[in-house]
Amino acid sequence: MIASLVATLDKDIADLSEIVSRISCIPGVELSDAKAVTHRFPVMIDSPDPDSLEEITRRLQQIPGVAFVDVVFVHFEDESDSVPVTPSGKPTCL
Amino acid sequence: MSRDPEPRSDALQRRDFIKASAMAAAAAIAGGTSFALPILADEPASGVDWQKAPCRFCGTGCHVQVGVQEGKVVAIAGDRNAEVNKGLLCVKGYHVGAALYGKDRLTKPLLREGDNYREISWEEAIRTIADRIQAEPNRFAFYGSGQWTIPEGYAAQKFMKGGLSNNHIDPNARLCMASAVTGFLATYGVDEPAGCYDDLDACDVLIMWGNNPAEMHPVLFSRVIDRRSRGEKVTLIDIGTRRTRTTEACQHYLEMKGHGDLAIANGIAHLLIKNGTYSQKFVDSFCSFKAPDDANPNLHGKTISFDEYKSLLEPYTPEHVESLSGVPAEQIRMLADLFGNPKLKITSLWCMGMNQHTRGTAINTMVHGIHLLSGHFGTPGNAPTSLTGQPSACGTVREVGTLSHALPGGMVVADAEHRKMAEDIWRVPPGRINGTAGHHTVKMWESFCTPTSQGGDIGTIWVQVTNPGQTLPNLNKLFNPKGDNKAGLEDKFLIVSDVYPTATTRLADLILPSAMWVEKNGMVGNSERRTQQWFKMVDPPGEARDDCWQTIAVAYELHKRGIEGMKDRDGQFLFEVRNADGAAVPIWDWEHYYDTNVDEHLFEEYRKFSRFKHKDLAPYGEYVKARGLRWPVVETNGQWRETHFRFAEGFDPYVAAGKEIQFYHSSTHDDRAQIWFHPWIAPAEVPDQDYPFMLCTGRVLEHWHSGSMTRRIPELSRAMPGAYAELHPEDAATHGLRNGDRVKMESRRGSLVIPVWIDGRGKPPRGTVFVPFFDETLLINDLTLDAVDPFSKQPDYKKAAVRISKVPS
Repeated sequence: MIASLVATLDKDIADLSEIVSRISCIPGVELSDAKAVTHRFPVMIDSPDPDSLEEITRRLQQIPGVAFVDVVFVHFEDESDSVPVTPSGKPTCL
Repeated sequence: MSRDPEPRSDALQRRDFIKASAMAAAAAIAGGTSFALPILADEPASGVDWQKAPCRFCGTGCHVQVGVQEGKVVAIAGDRNAEVNKGLLCVKGYHVGAALYGKDRLTKPLLREGDNYREISWEEAIRTIADRIQAEPNRFAFYGSGQWTIPEGYAAQKFMKGGLSNNHIDPNARLCMASAVTGFLATYGVDEPAGCYDDLDACDVLIMWGNNPAEMHPVLFSRVIDRRSRGEKVTLIDIGTRRTRTTEACQHYLEMKGHGDLAIANGIAHLLIKNGTYSQKFVDSFCSFKAPDDANPNLHGKTISFDEYKSLLEPYTPEHVESLSGVPAEQIRMLADLFGNPKLKITSLWCMGMNQHTRGTAINTMVHGIHLLSGHFGTPGNAPTSLTGQPSACGTVREVGTLSHALPGGMVVADAEHRKMAEDIWRVPPGRINGTAGHHTVKMWESFCTPTSQGGDIGTIWVQVTNPGQTLPNLNKLFNPKGDNKAGLEDKFLIVSDVYPTATTRLADLILPSAMWVEKNGMVGNSERRTQQWFKMVDPPGEARDDCWQTIAVAYELHKRGIEGMKDRDGQFLFEVRNADGAAVPIWDWEHYYDTNVDEHLFEEYRKFSRFKHKDLAPYGEYVKARGLRWPVVETNGQWRETHFRFAEGFDPYVAAGKEIQFYHSSTHDDRAQIWFHPWIAPAEVPDQDYPFMLCTGRVLEHWHSGSMTRRIPELSRAMPGAYAELHPEDAATHGLRNGDRVKMESRRGSLVIPVWIDGRGKPPRGTVFVPFFDETLLINDLTLDAVDPFSKQPDYKKAAVRISKVPS
């Protein structure tokens, strides 16, 4: 799965390079060439499956200085299993 | 010697392109660059066709870009051209495309035979419905939703009220925002918010009344949080009955008891008057006062003087309010001080907390009243605004009027003049529209589940785009009577159009497979009066077909049988559509349904209604070009201009010059809004010795309402697989419960066994439990209460007394 996110950083970040370094260390994550001149940082994720995508997103959110993460784009063409919704088998009235 | 690089495969090139597109989209959003999406559409090499559509889920109305390749939705991106979401999407939004591809989509009409279903043709399905209606036209009811598109709801409305002279049509929105409607009507004489989402960009203070936008409307909430991240000062206040993700982002959390909001609102008003900090100029110029008319209860109550209003508020001192609401007196004073400061811009937001309330109309009017009393109204950032949970609760239910008492454009069946105007637009004979309101939702289902011999006067219900088998309150009474109570219901017949099997289809006699979202054309209207349009992009699976077509096909079957109501004044079919050459297009025949744009035909007819209450809509083509337009949309110098703020001079074209503020649909016909007093009244059911806990139900971020779509999206289902009961740690300890233990939860109406979650996402106070309703395997609405607000007829899903006991492992 390929996705892109915008990580919004806390406004009083002391060391931007430290955050960039931490984000770059996450496997599957690519940062934009553009320098983060604002408090919003574009990130692209190339992950083998949805679980990895979620895990990477979670790791991003946990980096100190990252206020929150918004997802902008998801390419989900790759097949994923549908989740069956189990009926509770309640009696019918009709 | 240099060597050319190995040529990359098409697949790799394509993957690179997708990655580049993904990064470009994020960079565009992050950088706030002036160029706009669709940057994605400009790259022909991708093979992906990108088109716009509003998201399928909530009432925020975010726009997405939908990427289609080889007849399948393959990608979703936020739409930076959309003012609502500015390119951002929530977790549900970016998975919305996958909602189409659950593996158990309904693809064929199914007719119940005993305990089994038989596949039947559409022809047989349509005949079966027509048989039921023809046999007992007055015992037929149509139950829809705020997920009906505007044309779908309009077709159903016209079919019922303009065709069958039958007003038994109501939507599930009765369960989620009916009290907001009555609140607006009682205050301004006309429905829907005056403000819009722009207020979120301008307010200094945002007060959320029983509202959890961090999970339910996350894109709107992040819009405010984003401002704070940029260093702006925005004070966020959460008034609620449990801590939520919204609370975590707020500077102030005011934890109240159920119905505490009634006392808090009175407490604020009391202090504004006592401290002399209300806006006398605004009140004197633009407001009148009202109180309930106990001798003759009605939506518009009785007029009172300012002195009477002041006198009624006297008992609501901060200390008394504290005793009623549980909110400390100092916090009541803090709220009053904020409202008493004219320099601040204050926006209030609410949704289910104030609407699913047996005094929902009252609390809605009271929050409007605080804004009016303090003058925090009519300028950007100063607005009382209700949010909706469904994509077209406003556009279809409130504006098309798919309620049992309503007609399109804010008109009502009880008004002879309104009926005449509707009959003229529909070109049906005078007297065709019945002047008596039909059954509201709770009454409709109660009647359906009552044997005919005992007065149950609804025999057949056709459900479209909703899941009442999961979302009605007190399900054991209103949907699925148990034991002996189900005897005598053999003559009842339930028809359900849906996209997936649900708790409702499980009891259906006839199941119809529907097209969803971008499998059909559509138009919806969001919480800020914004009407949005999209085109069909992919085919529905199997034999699934548009709900609108289903309604028109049944109407035509009845027309063929000579049913008078299916003809207009000229003897033509009620849904006659002609092409540019004047030739009739047989839209009742699925093969020809898309020979023309049925949505456009229906919308252009419906648009005529929009003028009556100054909710003017633009021609269909304007919505094709836009990411939605906020009504009233008025043509000025050849341009169609939307309206950001109603009733305010300079923004609203219907406000006369020099008026500043003009409530031009005032119920007192003097351009004034009504400031209401209502007393604090206890909830319909409160905890006692036998049922010592207060149950609150609601939603979660990952799932949209009953979960019939989002539970089929693997990523969302894995993130939130099943329902749970949130408990306070001390209550859990008292009952010997640890995380994951199961409890039996019982109310006077039903029970279920459910795992507990202590210190989870939400944190209820002692004596309160919270259970989300998205899980069809754990039907919490077996336990909820079906008591309703006296005016809106909306039930209270937030307050029911329950008890819990540990289930041995």
